[in-house]
Amino acid sequence: MLEVKDIHKKFGDHEILKGVSLNVEKGDIIVILGPSGSGKTTLLRSINFLERAEKGTIDFKGIHTEFRSAGKKQIHEIRQHTGFVFQNYNLYANKTALENVTEGLTVARRVPKEEAIRRGKEALDKVGLSDRYDFYPSQLSGGQQQRVGIARAIVTNPDVILFDEPTSALDPELVGEVLNVMKTLAKEGATMIVVTHEMSFAQSVASRVVFMDQGVVVEEGSPHQMFSAPKDPRTMQFLKRVLREDFDYNI
Amino acid sequence: MRPFHPEFILTAFVQIIPYLWVTIATMIGTVVFGSLIGLILARANIRRGFVSRVLAQAYIYITRCIPSIVMLFIVYYGLPELMLGFGIDLNNMNKGFFVIVTFSILFSANMAEVFRSAYETIDKGQREAALCAGLSEWQAFYRIVLPQCIVVALPNFTNALVNLMKEGSLSYTIGLIDVMGKGQLMIGQNFGSYSLETYLALTVIYWGLTVIMEKGFGGLEERISKRKKLAAAS
Repeated sequence: MLEVKDIHKKFGDHEILKGVSLNVEKGDIIVILGPSGSGKTTLLRSINFLERAEKGTIDFKGIHTEFRSAGKKQIHEIRQHTGFVFQNYNLYANKTALENVTEGLTVARRVPKEEAIRRGKEALDKVGLSDRYDFYPSQLSGGQQQRVGIARAIVTNPDVILFDEPTSALDPELVGEVLNVMKTLAKEGATMIVVTHEMSFAQSVASRVVFMDQGVVVEEGSPHQMFSAPKDPRTMQFLKRVLREDFDYNI
Repeated sequence: MRPFHPEFILTAFVQIIPYLWVTIATMIGTVVFGSLIGLILARANIRRGFVSRVLAQAYIYITRCIPSIVMLFIVYYGLPELMLGFGIDLNNMNKGFFVIVTFSILFSANMAEVFRSAYETIDKGQREAALCAGLSEWQAFYRIVLPQCIVVALPNFTNALVNLMKEGSLSYTIGLIDVMGKGQLMIGQNFGSYSLETYLALTVIYWGLTVIMEKGFGGLEERISKRKKLAAAS
């Protein structure tokens, strides 16, 4: 359904992505793991054209284009069918929770206001914020803000939702509420690409785990295969490091 | 020297007040055109295009170094000469036109800086989030970024406006009859007497204008931020 091939992206002289390919089928929950600086976030942002990749192609919703030469219309079309959840939420500071969610409907898709409000409330109910419609982002906790962010991403019924480290900026005790919402979405059959450091989420929810390091996909496979029998030494080392930390907390 | 006649302040006030609309009209004209040019300059300055940025910065730098009164005369004498070259005769043009052109040039340089600094305080994630929600660049700017810019820019904008009003009083030097021009005219007609009373009347008028502007924009600012506080209480 969504296929990107051979993405290359440089910042100045620094090559962040050195030919990454990713194939996503409907209903896939793809979790991308990897040490910081490995290009996970840049990959997500390139798919959505928040960064302009220098090389590579994308196939999505009948659009087939090179990243480099994609026009305004194609970019707009791709964004219309994807949702994006940011690490630091990026809720519109001048709008209430409900307005944050409905903006993409009323303004970008010309949905009538009443229908937009109905759908917006549904989305907020789904993430457990039915009592926060009229709150401004500054009045919400981090976890609540991120749940509004997720509601904003799902309200337009996107074909695929991109999550860019959705829990990394949260206090530890708020991580659970966001992950639970994501798990519910996964169960309902949403297609998701998730960049995260939450290993337990990767293990229990992912349909496929992709391990990236230094701008390339090192290894990918089912969570079971990746966590119990990783093949590449870099994957092993990374998992050993992060999982040991996890155990420290669990014991 | 004549003794001071406080009652003449009122007389002068009453005679000057009908010209208030000239002062206000030139200010409004200046704010509209100056802000527009300022927006374009700020945009050129923020964007990555090298040529447009250098041009915008040069414009801002040069105009900010020119005193208003010098600029006023350059425009008043220079613009008709220049336009004559294009076959346009500006010699019978209303003086208000030259005033608006002059102060638009100066005001735009200030506005460009006000807009730019306001724009830079807005997190770039706001724009990105709007784009991801399917909004176009223009919608993202107009619906999400701009309203936040305005809140940030408002205090500086009010400041620039008050300065514009004060510098605008120089317009009488090219013969515009605004409140200051009328005051000067009256002093001339009285052969220099009642100067102090006339200037005091002008002081009251400018003071009143300033108070209205500051209260007006201050109130606007409060209303915008209050909306958020109200929602907190509910």
